[in-house]
This record gives sequence, structure tokens and C-alpha cells, in this order.
Amino acid sequence: MSEPTSVMTRERASVTVREPAPVATPRRTGRAPGKPLFWVYVLLILGSAVMVFPFIWEVLTSLKTLSGASSVPPQIIPDPFTTRAYTKVFDTLPFWNLLGNSILLTVIRTLGQVLLCTMAGYGFARFHFRGKNVLFIAFLAVLMVPGQLFLLPQYEIIREMGLLGTIPGIALPGLFSVFGTFLLRQFFQTLPMELEEAARLDGANEWQIFWRVMLPLAKPGIIALTLLTALWSWNDFLWPLVVSGNVNSMPLSVGLSLLTDLRLRDDALLMAGALLSSLPMIAVFLVLQRQFIQGIAFTGTKG
Amino acid sequence: MTRQLRGRNAAPRRSAAQLSRGRAWWALLFIGPAGLGLVVFYLWPIIRGIYLSFQDVGPFGGETFVGIDNFVEVFSEPDLGRALLNTLLYAVICLIGIPVAMIVAVLINTKGLKGRSLFRVLFFLPVVTMPVAVALVWRLLLNVDYGVLNLSLRAIGLPGVAWLSTPVVNMVVIAIVGIWMGLGTQIIIFTAGLQGIPDTLIEAAELDGAGPVRRFVSVIVPLLSPTTFLLSVLSVIASMQVFDLIFLMIDPNNPAQSQSQSLVSLFYTRGFLQHDLGAAAAIACVLLAIILVLSAIQFRLQRRWVHYE
Amino acid sequence: MAAALALAGCSSSGGQDGPTTLNYTIWDQNQEPALREVADEFEAQNPNVDVEITVIPSKDYWTKIQTQMSAGTGPDVFWVNGPNFQLYASNGQLAPLDDTGIEAGDYPDSLVDLYTYDGSLYGAPKDFDTIGVYYNKALFDEAGLEYPAAGWTWADFQNAAQKISDPAKGVYGTAAAPYGQMTYYNTILQAGGEVISEDGTTSGYDTPEAAEGVQFWADLIANGSSPTLQQLTDTWPGDTFSSGKMGMFLDGSWAAGTYSAAEAIADVIGVAPLPIGPTGENTSVVHGLANAVSAKSENLDVAKEFAVFLSGEEAAEIQAKTATVIPAFNGTQQAWVDALSTIDAQIFLDAVETGAPLPISKNTTAWVPVEEDYIKQILSGQLDTETGLKELAAEMNDLLAKE
Repeated sequence: MSEPTSVMTRERASVTVREPAPVATPRRTGRAPGKPLFWVYVLLILGSAVMVFPFIWEVLTSLKTLSGASSVPPQIIPDPFTTRAYTKVFDTLPFWNLLGNSILLTVIRTLGQVLLCTMAGYGFARFHFRGKNVLFIAFLAVLMVPGQLFLLPQYEIIREMGLLGTIPGIALPGLFSVFGTFLLRQFFQTLPMELEEAARLDGANEWQIFWRVMLPLAKPGIIALTLLTALWSWNDFLWPLVVSGNVNSMPLSVGLSLLTDLRLRDDALLMAGALLSSLPMIAVFLVLQRQFIQGIAFTGTKG
Repeated sequence: MTRQLRGRNAAPRRSAAQLSRGRAWWALLFIGPAGLGLVVFYLWPIIRGIYLSFQDVGPFGGETFVGIDNFVEVFSEPDLGRALLNTLLYAVICLIGIPVAMIVAVLINTKGLKGRSLFRVLFFLPVVTMPVAVALVWRLLLNVDYGVLNLSLRAIGLPGVAWLSTPVVNMVVIAIVGIWMGLGTQIIIFTAGLQGIPDTLIEAAELDGAGPVRRFVSVIVPLLSPTTFLLSVLSVIASMQVFDLIFLMIDPNNPAQSQSQSLVSLFYTRGFLQHDLGAAAAIACVLLAIILVLSAIQFRLQRRWVHYE
Repeated sequence: MAAALALAGCSSSGGQDGPTTLNYTIWDQNQEPALREVADEFEAQNPNVDVEITVIPSKDYWTKIQTQMSAGTGPDVFWVNGPNFQLYASNGQLAPLDDTGIEAGDYPDSLVDLYTYDGSLYGAPKDFDTIGVYYNKALFDEAGLEYPAAGWTWADFQNAAQKISDPAKGVYGTAAAPYGQMTYYNTILQAGGEVISEDGTTSGYDTPEAAEGVQFWADLIANGSSPTLQQLTDTWPGDTFSSGKMGMFLDGSWAAGTYSAAEAIADVIGVAPLPIGPTGENTSVVHGLANAVSAKSENLDVAKEFAVFLSGEEAAEIQAKTATVIPAFNGTQQAWVDALSTIDAQIFLDAVETGAPLPISKNTTAWVPVEEDYIKQILSGQLDTETGLKELAAEMNDLLAKE
């Protein structure tokens, strides 16, 4: 059967992401690392410096006094060294509240989205029914639409449900994702049919096949989606800004902008707040860096 | 459309065909929950957004049909053209990130490199950082009076620049911050692409006496073309929708604010600050049309230009 | 899952047994502690009421309120200001407060007028503010100048600004901040011009007087007495002043508490009335906030009661003590002056007598961005004053005609 959707989906490049993907295995060729390698190091160290400098400056500034943060010439090393900015973040913001909200929102959104997208991706990949392609193309169109366009209609729907200013209200639209459905569909399409057939002959029903046979095989796709969703959810700004009524449902990203609103700007305070808000996600990344990197590689080759 | 039992998958599908009636219910079970949510939260808003672009919406609701008035109004103002130019400028500058990412990916994948994973982490760090935090940090670095960048320039005798409050310059600067934020992702996708290049090809070039630069230009770049193309398309489509960074880095009190709007910033300003939802929806429809055209071009080019093995 | 959430949400509206929850939304974190105290007092008097205070960052405040109100889910009580008031009142978003027993005589007339629409009062005046000159005595001493005092003129101001400026040291005489209420609105009035006609239907920007009032600031930037507009964008001039690097700064009475407590200048800060302009007047813009009640509040009666309480004598006294804003309730202002013992805060009260209301129209927020845009282009030298203001007046008149 000629699937019209094949026009819409990218043919897979001949890239197999091995599991676990050893990215470019260094093979000892016995050649002594010569001059080229030296230049490689120089370039990479320079490049990394550009990438990391803002973070270093952020940390240094967060440990300065109010005037030290904006002095000319700049203080490189904080003098005097003080953690007052961190104390002030906790005084100004209900930090633990915001952190709790961010975590809760991220967990709800990630678990919900991964489950729903996996099921739907599987459904689109493995089942055939009247109107499937029309529906799928309609969903694909969503990917082309700038997210801000959804803001107002989604707001109206959340209001109708009476969920404004609540954690479920902020999390709800994010439970559904065309991108995620698409990603998992691509993945399930590449899995061989034989396993399914074998399980069916053993008398398993569709749900059991999905849950016991297919799901374990889809692990790379699921991990990729989980991490990406968590990342987006954690960093989301405009939607929670508009929907969260108050501190009870406000995530960190929105709370952080409250710091910019104080009458006197305190750069050290801003940096401390920025650091504290970014740190949880950075920590998760450092622990799960291989999964993150595989996840991104996966979306790049399957997207 | 009915399934045809022909071709490669005929054997497994035949048994499936007997189950097809039952399977439709299963399909509903699998797709239903997500499908319902997508229809309600994504498809319906698009329809509503398009509908609104033909309405005049009062500041607190209340809609009257005005035909194409909103589009006429939006096109007759200089704002749209300026926003379009700004967005294009941003998109073009962002494309510079792609060759940079390719070069870094190749460097990181050099044989015998020590500290590979550390480099990868360092380049990826901005990707996992909260955009609000990124904007705050860069605003400090770019501060006209005491930002590190200007102080360094002054230290070597050059004048400082008002990075964020000079029109055009600020779009370039924000695009560079955008590149900085997205570079890690692109490096990883290039790395995955590099894995698909058979070592034998590179070794063959090496035996022919090609130096590293030569190998890069004549073997790696052509073979990475599918990845490059994919990333360029994704980058342009994402750039067309730039909003967060501009919103967070350019204050309402910035003298260049009105000259530094992207299409989505303009949508936001008209819809949420000037309370003209109809005009905002019209701007969104214009953007939608642009993205659809770009995507169509992409699909055509992709079939013609990119060769997979 | 979604269905379950939706069902759970159906019963979340108010009006069941148990306490009534009121949402009170504001944009200034500095005032939250005092207002919390007021709300606690109200809760003590009304055991069945529970007040939640929401602070929204000021730059997102109106976006969010607007979205909420369009959706019929706005706060019960919230802050309104002059520029946004008429838009809300004329669109039926606010509940009239005439039947609440609030006495117009308890508040300055200018505020009562500001928050009256079609003969009804729609906002309970909360506080008022005027503009004054904050100055740094140390920098005046260094420049060998006398401190600003009542009766000083534009020329005195310009002279002091120029003498104090030392860009090499990062020290400036003053700041031509592009915020009408703090700077050019006042000088336009002092030059005998107007920003908008009394009835709010035509722009006043196409007059030589208005040009004179704007040129005053353009000159200060041009001769180096003020940082450039680009610098002012990146560094809020209030911060520069607080760090002891600015001689004079025009700001509102709302900032008095912040500046007099700023470490670097606490011992050398002074305040003076605005300098006298060409007309012989030193007019200051007078403005103030009000507590308004959403017409769509589910607890309308309690919300009105709370709004009136928030603007009452008791609430005014609690706020006055914190030295944040001047309470609007007549007779409570002295507590605010007393709380600011290190400066002559009385000048802010005196400025009301000779003040003029903040220029507004039915849809102020439609033309303010246009106005600010032109002024910014003039102050940054991209446009010449005369031409820029002519264009501004034309565009502003177009917008006003649409109201």
C-alpha cells in the first residue's frame, strides 16, 4: 500500500543509533597523536571557554555584594565574598514552594505525555483504520504552528474546566504532544513484526503485546521523550505565567521573573536566583548525560 | 481507505486482517486518549485562531465579523515588514551555528581525544539551562556600563557598544545567544550523523594523502549533507517562531524595543499588550503561511537533493 | 486521566459552605507585607473570609489581568492605575462602589475624579504619588553647589546637572529617563503645554510648549549631563542614583522608602520640589492607584467590602508606617512623612496642591507605547524634536479618534 504519509515523514538516514551509542569509538591506530591533535585541543578548549564563561561569571557574580556586582572595573573574584544573595533569594521568593511546583509540574507532564504519546505512537504505527492518515496529517500540521497561537484558546479551555491557577491546569495541555506521538510512531514503525506475531500466536491480546513486548523494545524512544519533555516542562515560561494564579501553582521559571521586578536591581541576587533555578535540571543532566545525548541523537535521526 | 493485502507485508498482515474489526477498537484505545487531547488543545485552537483573524475582538471579548480587515490593517502598518525582516535576520544569523556545530562535532570525534565526554557536557550545558536564567546572565554580560564584554573592549581601547539597545545589532546579538543555547543539540545530531560515515571512506582518503582539512571538506561535509539539511530546516522553522529570548532580553523600556520585534513578539504585543486579538490572530496566520511554505519547499528539496544510501 | 482531571475541576468554584476566598492581585512586592497585614486584619473582622494575595511582575501585570478578565476569571479585587482604568470601567469590567458607604470626601479630589467614570466611582483610592527631585548631597558638595530648594528653576537644575557630571568616573548629573510620569510629562506641563487635551480626545504634542518640555531632556543627554538612552536601558537610573553616582533623579514618592534606605546614599540623600519652568510653575504629575472590584467576582459583596477596607483609615495607617506609598485616606499622610525621618518627605504632599492629573484617555494603553516610542527616538537622537512630536501627535490623534 502506498502510504501518503511517507511523503510527510523523513526517510530514515542510514544512521543506526547503537545502544548504548559509543559516539565515534576512538580506535587506536597506533599513530602517535601529532600536530593535528594539538590544534584540536586548542580549538575545543577555546570553544568550551566561550560556552562555559557565562556560567562561571554567573557563579562569581552571585557571590558578590550589591555594589561589587556592578563595579567598574569589574571584580573578578568576589571581594568581599558573601552568600547574602542566596539568603536574599530565599527571603524574597517562596523558593521551596516554587521548586515543589516545578517538580510536580514536570513529573505530571512528563509521565502523562510519555504514556499517552507512546500509546498513540504505537496506535498510529501498528493499526490501520479509516481516516488514520487524515488524522495524522492534521496532527502534523500542529507542528507548523507557533506555540503562542495556542495560548488564548487553551486558556479558554482551562478556564471552562475550572482549572486556572492550579497545577493540573498548567500541566494539562502539555500532556499531549504531536512531536512525541510522531517520534514514537517513527520508532515503532522500525520494529520487526515477527515479535508481535509470535506473541499473538501465544494468545496475548493487543494490550499485552504493547505492554510486555513492544514497550521494552521502545525504551530508547521513551527515554528520549521523557528527558526532552522534562526539559521543556521545567523551562516553560509563557504558559505558566499566564495560567498560574499565584505562588501556589507558580513554577520557578515564573517566580524568577519576580526577582527582576524589585525596585533596586541587584545583579548578585538575579544570578543567585538564575543559578538556583537552573541547577536542578543541570544536575539531572549531569547524572543522566548519556541518556540525554542519546535522546537528542535519537530525535535528530528519527525526527 | 481499505488496506490492500499486497506487497512486502502481506504475510503478517493477513492474520491481522481477520482481526481488523476488533483491531479498530484497539486502535481507538491506543490513540483515543492522546488523540482527544490533541484535538481539544491543539487542533481546535488552530481553527479558533484562524476564525479570530476574521473577527474584531473587543478588549474583553465580544467578536464581530470584519472579513479581511485585520489582514489589511496588519499589512498596511510598517510593523509587520519590520518584524518580518527582524525574524529573517535572526533566522539567517542562526544558520551560522550549523557549520560551527559541524566543526565542533568533528573535533570532538577526533580519534585519540582525551576528555571527550567533558567537552560534550560543556557544549551541551546551555541546552539544559532555563531560558529565563540564560537571558538574565547574558543581560549582565552585555550591560552597556559594567558588562564584561564592554569593559574588555574598553580595556583594549575600543568603545563599548549598546548591545541590546541598538536596533539590528541587538537582533544579531540575540541570535548569537540563540546559537550558544542550541549548539549542543546540533553537535550531538552531527555526531550521530558522523557515526553513519563508514571508517573505510575516511581511511581511503587518508591513504590518498588527504590531510585533515581536505578530508573534512571532501569526505565529511558531503556525507553529512542530509544532517546539515535537516538541521538547517529545523533551525529556520524554529527561528521563525523566536519569542522567548527577545521577550526576556529586551525590556519594554528599551529604546529599540519597537524596532526589535519578531513576528511572534508582534503577535504578543498586538494581542496581549494592545488588546487587539483579531490583528494578533492575523499576524499568526501570516506566520503560519510562511512556515507552511518553508515546509513545502523542504519536502520538495528533500526528495530531490538529499541522497541517502 | 484528562477526564478525571476535568471532573475534579468541576467542583472547584466558590460558593460552597466554608470560607469565602477572595483573590487580591497587586504588582508591587515591596507592598505585599503591609497589605498582608491589612488582609489579616480584615480576616480577623470577617472570620469567614480568606484573602489570598497574588503578586504579578509589573511588566506582565496587565497582560495577565486582561487575559483573566476576558475569560471571566479575574481576581476579586485588584490594583488599577490611571492609564488602564477607563478601559476597564468603560467595558463593564469593574463593579461600581457607590453603594458601599465609601466617602469621596475622605480622599483627594484629583483621585476621586480619576477613578470616577460616567458619574460612578469604580475604584477605591488607595494611595497617591507625586514627583520630586532626589539628590545626593555629597555630589553637590563636591561640585561646590548649593542644595536644591523650593523656588529653584530649570536653569539651576541644568547647571547643577552639568557641573556634577563626570562621565569618565561614571558620575552623571541626572537621568533623562524615558518615563513620562517621572520626567517629560512634568516639564511639558511646566512649559505650559499638555500631553492630551482635558477631554482626552486630542494630542497636545504638536505645540511648541510640548516641544520645549521634551527638548529639556534631549539637551541634558546631548551635553552629557545624563547617561544615554542605551545606558538607561541597561542600568535603571534609580540603581545608578542609589549607588551614589548620580546627582539628581526625578522619581515618584513611591520610591522614597527605597532610596532613603539604600546603603550607599542613606546619609547623603535629600529631596526637593521640582524646579520651576518657563511658566513660573513647578507642576508635578499627580497620580495614584485604586483598589477595584471585578464586576464578575463571585463574591461581589465581600469583595466590595474588602476593597473599601483596603482603602480605609486603618489600612492607610498600616501602609503609611512602612514608608512605601502615600496613603490616599485624608489625614493619614503624616504617618508616611514621619516614617521617612531622614528626608523632607513633606515636599511630596505639598506637590499635590500645584499638581496636575496624569494624562489619560479611554484607551490610554493604546497610545502610550506609540508616545514612548517617539520620545525614545527623540531622546536617542534618531529624530529631531519638532518633527518627531508632529508625527507623534498625528498618530496619537488617529488612535484617540478610534476610542
